[in-house]
Amino acid sequence: MALPLHSFSPAPFLAVSAKASEMVHGSDFFSFLTNSVVVALCVLGLVFAFSRKATSGMTLIPHKAQNLFEFLVEFLYGRIEGIVGAKQAKLAFPLLGTLFIYILVSNWFGLIPGVGTMGFGESTGPFSVAEADKPLFRPPTADLNATLAMALSAFVVWFYLTIKEMGVWGFIMHTFGPKGGLKGFMGMVVGAVFLFVGVIEIVSIVLRPMTLSIRLYGNIFAGESVLHTLGGLLDKSGPFLSFIGSVLIPFPFYFMELLVGLLQAIVFTLLCSVYIQLSTTHDEHHEDGEHHH
Amino acid sequence: MEFLFPMYVKMTPVIAAGQVDEVVEKFGLAWSKFFAQVLIFIAVYVILKKFAFGPILAMLEQRRQRIADGEAKLEKIAKDLAEAELNAKRLLDKANDDAARMIKEAGDSAKSLAEKRQQEAIHEANQIIAKAREAAQLEHEQLMAQLKREFGRMVADATSRVTGKVLNSEDQGRINQEAAAQVSL
Repeated sequence: MALPLHSFSPAPFLAVSAKASEMVHGSDFFSFLTNSVVVALCVLGLVFAFSRKATSGMTLIPHKAQNLFEFLVEFLYGRIEGIVGAKQAKLAFPLLGTLFIYILVSNWFGLIPGVGTMGFGESTGPFSVAEADKPLFRPPTADLNATLAMALSAFVVWFYLTIKEMGVWGFIMHTFGPKGGLKGFMGMVVGAVFLFVGVIEIVSIVLRPMTLSIRLYGNIFAGESVLHTLGGLLDKSGPFLSFIGSVLIPFPFYFMELLVGLLQAIVFTLLCSVYIQLSTTHDEHHEDGEHHH
Repeated sequence: MEFLFPMYVKMTPVIAAGQVDEVVEKFGLAWSKFFAQVLIFIAVYVILKKFAFGPILAMLEQRRQRIADGEAKLEKIAKDLAEAELNAKRLLDKANDDAARMIKEAGDSAKSLAEKRQQEAIHEANQIIAKAREAAQLEHEQLMAQLKREFGRMVADATSRVTGKVLNSEDQGRINQEAAAQVSL
């Protein structure tokens, strides 16, 4: 049931539901079909259509769509290669590039007028509701299921790349092994310290999907809430002021949300790149040891 | 692992209080929704990898290769051009040297030929002069002989007329000889 804004508690994030709404009510089978899944499918279609357009009839002198996509791919590849290195970039780029594009398109999709505001609620007339408490569209990045799905997918790929590059024993030594090459008593002390650091590192690694997903979800959901709240500030001031207020007041924040959407896509992608780089870089003393052999 | 105890102490109340379920409920976490999102993300990954990243990266590599080839060709062309210029300069210098040598040789040859021709002309002129002199001498001698004969005949004739005597051939011969001897004096 939709409630007017003034009846909400002061907590602003309640202006938008924290979870995605199911599109088919009362069906366990279709419980997966939420408004964020709908938008995710739209994003999938957009990505597919644009990819096909950009890469069909490719020429050495690129056409407009090809040029844009080439710029994007070249820019991303350069940044990722700069972080993870040339060898890992070839393996990790498809995932990291997908993460960036999917997150960016999803974030900006949420800024299209109607997304988050068109939907079902308490009817106030034909094709109008007091509040769309079950919106038709919700950006996937404002659904914790989607952000968790992306973070866990990245985690799986990170684990695969790490084990492929370092091996299981290499990963264990990389995480828990003492650095510095000290021997004797000091070596044991340093070993114990690095063992403890390794345990903390494991906890940090396990928490990464959670931090990644909650950071992205929190930022985008907060942005949705801000826009929604600001758009409804003058809802009780008559139709004209309500209309003007819903357009003008959130207007500056759209630019901020455009920036936040881009920034969060960059942050998510760069953090994943850094995680891959950290775990696939060989330790110096390890390499030295190999050289000695 | 006792050093991890503080961490457990902090996490335990959250788990124990059943707040995980509350969080799951509040944020709508569900396996079906989660897997739906995973599948969609995998689909986006496959689409981008197959239809975008693969062809675009291949095209970028092709273009990079083409540019590298172009640069290599440019370097080769510049090198060839420098070599060609060097060759042209070398050929030009050689041609200049050859031309100078040939001009000098031609000059020398012309000078030598001129001298030869001059010598030949002088020689020929001398020959002509000598022949002319010989011819003149011969003619002079013939004229002198003729003159002597004529003079002898005239003397004989005059003597014959003066003396009224018919001179025989012996007399005529003797008078001719006398006259000729007088003329040559």
